[in-house]
Amino acid sequence: MNRTQVVGAVAVVLGSVMLQGCVAPEPRQELFAPTDAQMKIRSAQTRTFEVKEHTVAMRGVIAALQDLGFIIERANEPLGLVTAARFAEPNYYDVLGVTVTVRPQQDGKTMIRANAIYNSKPIEDPKVYQNFFAAVERSLFLVKD
Amino acid sequence: MQRLPAGVLLLMGLLILLQGCVPQTQPAELFQLTPESSANRAMQTRFFDTGNDQELLSASAAALQDLGFQVEESVREVGFLRAAKERSAREYGQYRNRFFLWLLSLGHVVIPIDLHQKIAASIVTRPLNEAHSRQEVRIIFYRAVWKGDGQADRNYIPPGEQKMEMIRDPEIYQQFFAKLSKAVFLEPHAI
Repeated sequence: MNRTQVVGAVAVVLGSVMLQGCVAPEPRQELFAPTDAQMKIRSAQTRTFEVKEHTVAMRGVIAALQDLGFIIERANEPLGLVTAARFAEPNYYDVLGVTVTVRPQQDGKTMIRANAIYNSKPIEDPKVYQNFFAAVERSLFLVKD
Repeated sequence: MQRLPAGVLLLMGLLILLQGCVPQTQPAELFQLTPESSANRAMQTRFFDTGNDQELLSASAAALQDLGFQVEESVREVGFLRAAKERSAREYGQYRNRFFLWLLSLGHVVIPIDLHQKIAASIVTRPLNEAHSRQEVRIIFYRAVWKGDGQADRNYIPPGEQKMEMIRDPEIYQQFFAKLSKAVFLEPHAI
């Protein structure tokens, strides 16, 4: 290989690397499209409770969050929204946030949905939600007594 | 003389490494009730024999105002109230520790100290029976602390590092409930 060939080869390689940047980025449609994983998460995040009164369900959720050490930030009774957060003690660098919606169902039951985020990333582990609903159930049971 | 800074640096290195040993909590555990949960609940909760939850909530707001808090959020329908106050977080002990560590490390380490804090309270009242004749009041005090700047060898630590913790001093809760019960002329019952 003489020198011109080497230079040529390097130029071709460099050129193709640089051209890679010229591919127009595809718009990320999947960000808004429903996926199977999302459906699964949704069912893990949702649970229906045998509670008739909207307020009782909401107060149960709030009490459960307090038991779990969360600080209630916002609550909206007519819409059934509760937002709460806490630091992931014992370390103070990770933040855990949760939004809960409480919606009455037609058959006298109440549907509770929780969305939890850990450092602004959604939590997808169903076990987390199982734990949360166990706490809600416990607190609703306490209210009944 | 040559060995001393090396030893100090080793110690510092070890201290920094040990910081990594704070147990990393998994989100799954964070939604689980811990053995402390019920103790915290007992400390933060009192029962009052009254049907008037609105009166309890407004008396709570007044008690917090007496303690210098500003109400930030309130939702009467679910008996929720959040209030906060900002204060200096400077402590004499921290300055002393910083000075000795600075001396020990021969001027290489300046640990950040707490500068400012926001103390907040979140209150929730809820009826305990069908007739609404007994109410539970739960208050959680917590604080967020902002740290100042510091230095570790040649690395500058910028100010503004933040931490938040629940206040676990039972006396603070007792004081609040004493004030509240005086305001509503009712005897508080612990769990």
